[in-house]
Amino acid sequence: MKPAPFDYHRPEDLQSALSLLGTHTDASIIAGGQSLVPMMNYRLAQPEHLIDINRLSELDYIREDGDQITIGALARHDAIHASELIAEHMPLISHAYEWIAHKAVRNRGTLCGNLCHADPASEMPAIIQVLEATLILARNGSSREVPAKEFFVGTYDTVCEEDEMLVELRIPKPTAGTGWGFEEVSMRKGDFAWAAVVCLLRVENGRLDDVRVAVSGAAEIALRLPDLEVALAGQAPSSDIFENAATKAVDALAPVGSATVSADYKRDLVRALLPRVLSAATARAS
Amino acid sequence: MSSHLKSNVIPPSRQREKPRAGMTWIGQSMKRVEDPRILVGKGGYVDDVVVPGMAHAAMVSSPHAHARIVSIDTSKAKNLPGVIGVYTGADLATVVDPCPSFASPPVTQHAMCMDKTRHVGEVVAAVVAEDRYIAEDAAALVEVEYEILTANVDIEASLEATGDAVLHPDDRESNRALDESFSFGSVEDDFAGADKVIKRRLRWNRSSAQAIETCGVVAEYDAFKGGYTIHANTNFYNFIPFVIGGSLRVSPGELRLIPVLTGGSFGSKVFIHKIIILTAGLARLSGVPVKYIEDRLEHFTNSDSHGSDRLYDCELAVMNDGTFKSMRFTVLDDYGAYLQFGVGTHGNAMAQVTGPYRIESFAMRVIAVLTNKCQQGPYRGFGSEVTNWVMERMADAAAEELDRDPVDLREQNMIQPDEFPYMITTGNIYDSGNFQEVLAQAKTLFDLEGWKRKAAAARADGRCVGVGVATCMERSVYGPTEWWFLNKKEEPGFTLTSTPEGISARFDPSGKLFVTLNSCMVGTSPETVVTQVLAERLTVAPEDIVFNYADSQTGFNGVGPQGSRFTAMVTGACVTASIRLEEKLKRFGAHMLQRRPEDVELRGGMVAVKDGLEDQAKSFAEIALMSSFFRLSFPDEEAFDSGLETTAVYDHPISAEPHPDREHLGIFYPIVGHICHITAVEVDPETGKVEILDYAAVHDNGTIVNPRTLGGQVWGGTANGIGTTLTEHFIYDEDGQFTNPNFAEFALPSAHEMPKNLKLGHVETPSPYTEYGIKGGGEGGRLGAPSALTTAIEDALREKGVKISALPVTPPVLRGLIRNADAAAAAAD
Amino acid sequence: MNTTAIELEVNGRKHSANVPPRKLLSDFIRQDLALPGTHVGCEHGVCGACTILMDGKAVRACLMFAVQADGASLTTVEGLSKAEELHPIQHAFWEEHGLQCGFCTPGMLAAAHELLSENTDPTDEEIREAISGNLCRCTGYEYIIDAIRTAAKKLRVTQASDASQNA
Ligand SMILES: Cc1cc2nc3c(=O)[nH]c(=O)nc-3n(C[C@H](O)[C@H](O)[C@H](O)COP(=O)(O)OP(=O)(O)OC[C@H]3O[C@@H](n4cnc5c(N)ncnc54)[C@H](O)[C@@H]3O)c2cc1C
Ligand code: FES
Ligand code: FES
Repeated sequence: MKPAPFDYHRPEDLQSALSLLGTHTDASIIAGGQSLVPMMNYRLAQPEHLIDINRLSELDYIREDGDQITIGALARHDAIHASELIAEHMPLISHAYEWIAHKAVRNRGTLCGNLCHADPASEMPAIIQVLEATLILARNGSSREVPAKEFFVGTYDTVCEEDEMLVELRIPKPTAGTGWGFEEVSMRKGDFAWAAVVCLLRVENGRLDDVRVAVSGAAEIALRLPDLEVALAGQAPSSDIFENAATKAVDALAPVGSATVSADYKRDLVRALLPRVLSAATARAS
Repeated sequence: MSSHLKSNVIPPSRQREKPRAGMTWIGQSMKRVEDPRILVGKGGYVDDVVVPGMAHAAMVSSPHAHARIVSIDTSKAKNLPGVIGVYTGADLATVVDPCPSFASPPVTQHAMCMDKTRHVGEVVAAVVAEDRYIAEDAAALVEVEYEILTANVDIEASLEATGDAVLHPDDRESNRALDESFSFGSVEDDFAGADKVIKRRLRWNRSSAQAIETCGVVAEYDAFKGGYTIHANTNFYNFIPFVIGGSLRVSPGELRLIPVLTGGSFGSKVFIHKIIILTAGLARLSGVPVKYIEDRLEHFTNSDSHGSDRLYDCELAVMNDGTFKSMRFTVLDDYGAYLQFGVGTHGNAMAQVTGPYRIESFAMRVIAVLTNKCQQGPYRGFGSEVTNWVMERMADAAAEELDRDPVDLREQNMIQPDEFPYMITTGNIYDSGNFQEVLAQAKTLFDLEGWKRKAAAARADGRCVGVGVATCMERSVYGPTEWWFLNKKEEPGFTLTSTPEGISARFDPSGKLFVTLNSCMVGTSPETVVTQVLAERLTVAPEDIVFNYADSQTGFNGVGPQGSRFTAMVTGACVTASIRLEEKLKRFGAHMLQRRPEDVELRGGMVAVKDGLEDQAKSFAEIALMSSFFRLSFPDEEAFDSGLETTAVYDHPISAEPHPDREHLGIFYPIVGHICHITAVEVDPETGKVEILDYAAVHDNGTIVNPRTLGGQVWGGTANGIGTTLTEHFIYDEDGQFTNPNFAEFALPSAHEMPKNLKLGHVETPSPYTEYGIKGGGEGGRLGAPSALTTAIEDALREKGVKISALPVTPPVLRGLIRNADAAAAAAD
Repeated sequence: MNTTAIELEVNGRKHSANVPPRKLLSDFIRQDLALPGTHVGCEHGVCGACTILMDGKAVRACLMFAVQADGASLTTVEGLSKAEELHPIQHAFWEEHGLQCGFCTPGMLAAAHELLSENTDPTDEEIREAISGNLCRCTGYEYIIDAIRTAAKKLRVTQASDASQNA
C-alpha cells in the first residue's frame, strides 16, 4: 500500500501556494494529510502535484475578530480543541472534538482540510452549518465568500474549485445564552459518525427561538433541517414536541445505507438523537 | 459411563513434578525476560530483516470473487525501470507445486492462481522490484482479462451450486467439501426419553484475528548453498519445512526457516505456508532474495486466516427437572475457497462440546461448505469458541423454556468435583476441575446478587440493563488427532502424533545457562516461562539464564504456541532437562566436594552438601568451569565427559487413539481449564449501542506460572471476544466483494470499548497429568466473553422479548432486532 | 527518480538525505534510517503502530511523507531510552506487563509520552482517551492503562526529587 509518484511543492507563503494551484492541473493541497494520505496509500487518490501548505504559518491561527472567530487553513484540530477562545464562544466545537478522531490525528489534521474533504460522515460540516460560518475561498488574484450551507455539494465534493483554496473559516459568535447539543453514534468513539446530530437554539420567554439543527451521516452531505427548525420556533420546549418534530423530520430524510449500516438504521439514529440534542440544547440555553 | 466409551482407557499419569505450595519462582508475577529489547524497538520482527541484495514483491490481487483468468499481459509492468520480474501462476508453477492440504481428499490450492480466481484478493500475478513502491507501480500496470463466474456467498445457497459455480470441479463435484455424521452414546434413546427438546438455529459470523502485524516473508534461494533460507513470522517454524518442502521441491533439510519475533498471532500465523511458498518461489524465479510483507488489505483478503463462519441447527434434550440429557446439531461451516486443514476446527470443538455439563450423548453432522471467500485459518478458540457459545445459548434457551434461573440450571447440570478425570461423551477427558468453586468465586467477585437487583431496578425504570453469566471450558495442550478424526474413516490421512516440544540447555564455562528454544515468541512469554521453571527446578538465578531461538535446521522438536499448549509442554521439557542437568551438576559438584552425589543437593545456584556448612558448596559457575575446561581433574569415566548440557523433549503427557469406527474420538485435548465470565450491560434501545457496565472473569488454568502474564492473556482474549460479539464482522456483498477490509470499518475494540472495571479471579485446580499441574490459558477470554455478553444483552432486552441467535450484534444489527421486536409487540396490541 | 533533499533531527542526531517525495515517513525511518522500532500495521492511519513524536507531538508516520519532516525533530522509540536505561514509561510498561507481542508498543509509548508531558497526573479516562487511537490486539489495554498510570507516578516522583534538588 504505497502512494503513486507525484511532484512535491512546498510554498512558503499563501501567494506562492495560490500561484502553484493556478499553474498546475491535477494538483492537490495537502494540509494535515490525515484524509488525503490514506487515500493516496490506497491509490484512490493519485494527484500529479502535491502542494504542501504546512509552511504557511500565516494561516495557522484562531482569532477573535469582533463578533466572529476566524480560523486559518492551517489551524489544527488539536489547537482548536484546546482553544480557550473556542471553548468560551463555541463550546459545541470543543465538545464535538471529543468525538473526532484521536490525538495523533488531531495533532496533524486541520479543520479546513476536514471540511474540504467533505466526508458525509464527518461531524464538522454539520457544525459549521448550524454556526452559519462563512468560508473564504481564494485563488490567484481573487477570493470569494461561501456560506457554509452552500459549501458542500456531494460526497467528497465541495464548491471549492481545483485552483481554489479554503483559506479561512469565519464563524459568527452565537448570541449569549444560546444552548447547544451534540450527539453521535459510531462504532467506536473517534470513528466517523454513522449519524451525528447538532443543534443550537435559544429560549426566549419560555419559547424556542433561532433553532438550528443539522445532521451528518444521513445523506450524501451534512444537512440542515429547515422544516424542523421552523416547526419548533416559537414553541414551548417539551419532550413531546421534540419527539413529534423528530418523527416528522425523519420521515423527510432519505439516508444512504451501506453494507454495514442500513438506511433504516440511520433513520433510527437520527430519530433517536434529535430529541436528545434538542433537550440538551434547551437545558443549556439561558 | 456409557458403553461406547469402554475402549477409551485413560493412561496412567506420567507427572514427575507435583504441584506444591510455596514455590520460589513458579507462581510469581515476574517481569518478562523478553521485554527490554522489545521496549526499545529491537525486537526483530520479520519486516526488520534486511538481506543484502534484497528485492521487494507486490501482488496483483483479484478484484473478483470468482472468475476465469482469460489472459494476463505483463509487458508494460516488465518495462518499468526498477522491475526485476513479473510472474504469473504459470511461471510460479515451474518452480513450486500446490500448497499442502490437510483435507482428505485434498482441495487443490496454488500459492498464485492458475486458471481461476476463487476469492477477492487472491494473487493473480506478482512483481519483484527494487522497492515496494516500484513493485506496486508495476502491479498496477499488469493487465488481466477475466471472465466472471457466479460468486458463491451464501452458505446454504453455495451447497446447491452447479456447473461453473462449483469452485473445485476437479476435486469435488459440488461445493459440499465434506459431509460427515457422528454419534456418541445413545442419542436416539435419550431424545426419545426426554421431556422436552429445545431447538435453536444459531449463526456465528466471520471475523478474524487481525494481529497488528501482518504476515511476511523474506526468502532467498541458492541452489549451490543448500536451498532456501527463509525468515517468516509463522509460529510453526520447526514443523513448516516438513509441510512445505514438497511444495518447494526441496527436502525439509534444504529449507532453513529462521524464526523472528512475531507481532501477534492468536492462531492466525500458524499456517502462513501459502505466502512462504509464494515468496520463496519468487526468490527462485527472480534469482534475488525477496521480501514480501502483506499490507493490511492483503492480510484481510488473502491471508487464509479467517475465523469460523457457522450455521447451527441445534437441539438439546432435557427433562422437566432441568437435567440435560443429550445434544445434537447439524452445522454448516463456510470454509471459504479452500480447505487447508479439513474440518479440524470441528474436531477441536469435540474436546468440550458439551461444556461443563453432564450430557451423556451427543451427535453431529458437519458439512463443510466452499464459497468464494478467503479461506479459514485458526483464530483463538479454533472452533471451540463457537461451540462454547452454542452450548451456553442452549443452556439459556433451556432455562427460558423450563422457566428456571439460568445460573441454577447450569449448576444443576455441572460435573461435580469428585468426578474427575471426567470422560465426556466424545471420548475426551477433563483432567480436573472445580466448576462450582469457579462459579462461586465469580459470583462474589462480581456481586451477582447485587447486580441482579440493580439490573431489575433499572429495568423497572425503563432502562435496558442486564446480567449474563457464562460457565465454559477451556481445553488446552492439544493432541493433533483433531485434525483428522472427522475425515472420512476410510482415509483419515494422518496418524496420532505426540506434538513434542523440546529445549536444549547448557551451562557455559562462566555458569550462565544458555537455553535454546524451538518455538518462537508471538506475544506469549516463552523465555519467561522457561526462566521461571528452570529457576524453580535448578535454583539458578533468573538473570543467569540466556535465550536463543533455534532455526529449523539447528533445532529439533517444537510445535510452538498454539492450542494453549506451549506453557505446559515446554515446562515438561524443562523438567526433563533439569533432571539431567541436576544429575550432572551433582556428579561433578560432589566430586569437587569429595562427596557422593547422593549426599549433595541443589541450593541457591550451588551444589551443596546436604545439611552442610556454607563452605561445603560449589557454585554452578565453578562446576561449569571445571567440567568444561578441566576434564583431567575428574575420573576417567564417560560420565565425566566435558560439558554440562542436555537436550530434552517432552511428548504429550496423555493421549489415546480415536476408535476406528469413531464411536469415540479418543483422548486428544485432556488438560482442561474452566472459566466463568459475568458481565452487566446496558443497551440503548434506540441506537443499539451496548455499554459494558461491569465485568468479572474467573479462570482455573491449574497451577499458575505467572499470574500477571496469565491475566494478560485473559484480558487480551476477552477483548477479542468483545470484538467478536459487538464490533467485528466481515461483510461480503452478493457479488462476493469484501466490503470492509480495513481497520476503519472492521472495528477492533479500542481502549474506549473495553470495560472500565475488570475484575480477575483465579482458582487453581492442578492437572494430575502435566508437570506442576499447569494447564494452558491462552484462549480463555475469547472462549467466554461472547457467551456472557450475549446473555447479558438478551437479559437487558428481556422486556422487549429480543432473542439473540447470531453474532456479532453490532449496533445496527441489535437495533434491527429491537425494531422488529417493537413492531411485533405493536402488531400484537 | 527525482528526489528532494531534507535535513532533520532524529533522536537527537542530525540526518540529511535525498528522498523521493512519495516516500512515507514510516518507510524512511525504518529503511533509510534503519530504525525498525517504528512499526507499520495498516498504512491507513487507524492502528497507530507507526506513531512517533514530532516536535514533541504524537503523529502517524504512515500519514506523512518524509519530505514533510524536513527541519523537524523526531523522536522514535529508539530515542526514548537513554544509553543503557529504559525510559520511566518503558520501565512501567515492563513492570505492569503492558506489552505482549510488542508490535503496538512503540506507538503506545509515543502516545503515553505526549500525554504525560502535558498532564502529569491523568485520570484513567484521560489515559484511555490518549491511547484510543492506538490499537492493541494482545492486551485488552488493561495493563497498558496500569502502565501509564504507574509511569505518571514515577515521573512525578522524579520531577519532585529534581525540584527539591534544585531548591
Ligand atoms: C484514524 C482516523 C480517524 C478519523 N476520525 C475522524 C472523525 O471521527 N471525524 C472526522 O471528521 N474526521 C476524522 N478523521 C479525518 C480527519 O478529521 C482529517 O484530519 C480531516 O478529514 C482532513 O484534514 P487534513 O488537514 O488532514 O486534510 P488533508 O488530508 O490534508 O486533505 C483532505 C482533502 O482536503 C483538501 N484540502 C486540504 N486543505 C485544503 C484547503 N485549505 N483548501 C482546499 N483544499 C484543501 C486536500 O486536497 C484533500 O483533498 C479521521 C482520520 C483518521 C486517520
Ligand atoms: S501504520 Fe500508521 S496508523 Fe497504522
Ligand atoms: S502487544 Fe501485541 S498488539 Fe499490543
